[in-house]
Amino acid sequence: MDEAQADTTTEGKMEALRRALPQQQPTLLALLAVLAVLFFLAVTGLSRAYHAQRDSLGDRWFTRGVVDLSARHYDSAVMEFRSALLYSRDNYTYQLNLAEALIGLKRTAEASTYLVNLWERQPEDGLVNLELARIAVEKGQTEQALRYYHNAIYAAWPRDQEVKRRDARLELIEFLLNANSKAQAQAELIALAENLGEDPSQQERVGDLFLQVQDYEHALAAYRLRLKEERGSRALAGAGFAALQLGRYPLAEHYLQAAVAENPGDMQSAERLKMAQLVLNMDPFRRQLSVTKRDQAVVEAFETAGGRLRACGASRGPALPTAAQSSLATSWTRMQPRISEAQLKRDPDLVEAAMDLVFEIERQTNATCGPPEGSDMALLLIAKLHEGN
Amino acid sequence: MVDGAPVAATPVNGRSPKALLQAVFREERFFLVLSVFIGVFSGLAVVCFRFAIGWCRLYLLGTGAVFSTPRVLLAPTLGGLVIAALVIHFFPQSRGSGVNQTKAALYIYNGSIPIRTAIGKFITAALAIGSGHSLGPEDPSLQIGACLASALGRRMHISRDRMRLIAPVGAAAGLAAAFNAPISAVLFVIEEVIGRWTAGILGSVVLSAVSSVVVMRWFLGSESLFRIPAVQLERPSELIAYSILGIVGGLASVLFAKGIATLRPRCKALPFWTQYFQPAAAGLLIGIIALLGAPQIMGAGYEAIDEAMHGRFTWQFLAILAGLKIIATLLSFVSGTPGGMFAPTLFIGAMLGAAVGGAEHVILPHLSGSPGTYALVGMGVLFAGFLRAPMTSVFMVLEVSGNYSIIVPVIVANTIAYVISRGLQPIAIFDLLTRQDGLELPSMEEQREEGILRVEDAMRPALDPVLDAQETVEQALQKAGSAMENDVLVRLSPRGWSSVAKEQLRAMAAEGKTGANLGSLLPIRRIPDLHPDHPLETALRYVNRWPLVPVVSRLDFRELEGVISQRDVLERYREFGES
Repeated sequence: MDEAQADTTTEGKMEALRRALPQQQPTLLALLAVLAVLFFLAVTGLSRAYHAQRDSLGDRWFTRGVVDLSARHYDSAVMEFRSALLYSRDNYTYQLNLAEALIGLKRTAEASTYLVNLWERQPEDGLVNLELARIAVEKGQTEQALRYYHNAIYAAWPRDQEVKRRDARLELIEFLLNANSKAQAQAELIALAENLGEDPSQQERVGDLFLQVQDYEHALAAYRLRLKEERGSRALAGAGFAALQLGRYPLAEHYLQAAVAENPGDMQSAERLKMAQLVLNMDPFRRQLSVTKRDQAVVEAFETAGGRLRACGASRGPALPTAAQSSLATSWTRMQPRISEAQLKRDPDLVEAAMDLVFEIERQTNATCGPPEGSDMALLLIAKLHEGN
Repeated sequence: MVDGAPVAATPVNGRSPKALLQAVFREERFFLVLSVFIGVFSGLAVVCFRFAIGWCRLYLLGTGAVFSTPRVLLAPTLGGLVIAALVIHFFPQSRGSGVNQTKAALYIYNGSIPIRTAIGKFITAALAIGSGHSLGPEDPSLQIGACLASALGRRMHISRDRMRLIAPVGAAAGLAAAFNAPISAVLFVIEEVIGRWTAGILGSVVLSAVSSVVVMRWFLGSESLFRIPAVQLERPSELIAYSILGIVGGLASVLFAKGIATLRPRCKALPFWTQYFQPAAAGLLIGIIALLGAPQIMGAGYEAIDEAMHGRFTWQFLAILAGLKIIATLLSFVSGTPGGMFAPTLFIGAMLGAAVGGAEHVILPHLSGSPGTYALVGMGVLFAGFLRAPMTSVFMVLEVSGNYSIIVPVIVANTIAYVISRGLQPIAIFDLLTRQDGLELPSMEEQREEGILRVEDAMRPALDPVLDAQETVEQALQKAGSAMENDVLVRLSPRGWSSVAKEQLRAMAAEGKTGANLGSLLPIRRIPDLHPDHPLETALRYVNRWPLVPVVSRLDFRELEGVISQRDVLERYREFGES
């Protein structure tokens, strides 16, 4: 009975309160608003402390990661960058460094997911594009690699923009050369050379790359620019080789002599020098040559070509001489009694005829028996030099 | 104003200030304003809860991404001991599902949840999740929101009807802040707690959810729980791949639910003293699993979900992680450690999704879906299969991903998972937990699937003649003579229906009104119109007042499709109950 009475009383009180509610509501709401503001301020204080602590922890882990990354301790760096990311999940720098550490560990698939994410956020970031290009190269995705390399070349770089862009293009050229896309590589090299500045070492590198794409003219120009600033045996050798390939034998001799003088151990340049000198000595059409010397050169060239023809025939076996070779042999045998210094002096037209036969023999034997060596090679080069004259 | 008279004392539009105040602060409006405050307070509380979890993790497990061995073993074990003591001695209500406790507040306790429950949940769940127990912060956040709302409602002395609904309003706010997804939170509360869409409650739930998310974003930023990768579906044929994910997810959901169904009662049945050590034992086992190479299973696991979405793990490892997370969550949950199962469900779903996607990519490399896409769909799949909230599962993925193109795979996979789970595990997880706790709360899933009886299920053909209001009493008496029932329907003009008993007609004739028009003698009150598609409950309102109610066509209200009486309605209900 008492309980029932108490219940009734409570219900009654509640009902009275509810009836009074409309009058109390503004006060209650004002009170709630004050409470909310106080709670908000308290949480703001907590939030500041919380975020400050997390930022500091993130920075601490990141600093450790950077130290380990530069010391190439990739395992530790990965763990530290991951820890840093716990406190700032979307931090661009943390993610980029983590990706680099992952690349260091050869975990490119994982790195690529971070890099793609970063690329989506900042497609103009040079480093991200460059790293993605490298990953694409590794995966053999040529088109993607080209796209990312080009992005990197034209991207924004935080520091040393020109240098970074140049390095990205150089990397692209090397990739194209490895992919045997010489024409594309040459186009990139020409663009690179135009924006290269005056860094001698870069000119030398570009010269080397031009040599690889067999653009000897640009290679020679690059080496010359390099040599204008600073001499160096590599550049001299490269310039000599480029000049040799261009058929500028006096120039080649000049650079190669200097290269050998600077680096006597450079056997390749020494060989090339020998060849350049041989060409210069054996060429009967070179300027300022006396008639006697010219005739001596023709006689020597004729004998050399005869020897080459015989050697080539012997190497192929007596049963296999080609029709052209037989005809050349017949011509040579027929002309041979007339090729002497005295005869050549009497009949200057014979010089032309003899040398034509010599060049033809060298070309033919080159085609059938492979590239010659020594004097025969020199004669072949002389033939190329005077082609069309 | 000019003469300095106070504004409030001046009648406005002929109404007194008191009346105006009452008009402005009617309870519905007050409730809406209160909902905004509930959202703000819940948002602030959830932000504090997140900070607490963060600090616990920092001081218990360390600051790095890789945990040291002693911490991995000691933190969850010692944390478990402290949690058990707190739960047993101070906060016994903080154990169990927050969803069910909110439902209990709604259906049993008139919206009342003690504030002590919120405090207990806050402390123990923060400690549990921060020390590495495999549980999530969403369910505790939901409960904290519900408790705060309940406390505010009590202080504001709102009516009992409103008070009952206030806990779900707070629950939506808590969940929205925890998920950073207001739409999903609203849907979940409607789908799993309230169970019905009513305009009165919907406004409050939406307001509280939105305001809590605004507060949460103010302090924690607007970024979602995980970074969402690019989502794509190039060919519709790829839906087959997602269907396979639906099947795998459905089976995993059943396995997870069966685990809880089997292990939880057994743990509860152990001697009481073991309750002091159960969370610690669970923590130790979780620590051992972490030490064996899967530290990702510790805590809520959102970082691991993020990494899985971005292809950090192989598909084999993802599958292992999904399996281990099921075990770890079972251990934590059945041991009575406070914490939620939303985050673990998402974790398992994401890992399973990415694993299935990865395996399918090995077989069919041309599939366009990234691991992230499969992980996202996988989260929805487990949500649908395990938590059995199919609508929320779809909208959650949409809201989290912000990408509409994922909707078709999500619907396909979620439906398959839901159907499999429903078939193999008839009782939904929340209902299962309720029954294990000895409560009888309405099952939202059963309510959703309950067949609705309609008038057409109970009505019978009108075989008796129908009288016309224009007829005379004599004509009507003649026609009624052939009727089998005592009451005969009368078609009124121009529309409407009435009925008349044979005795009434005979009495009218005896009074000498044989030539009178029948319509003029009938009572003014007409029988309300019933249509075949009306719920049978509607018929129940009328059949006790009229012995025979006409069921008429919606096209032509004068066309009779059948009749229904109280006996017909009761008979149909009886048959339905028996079936």
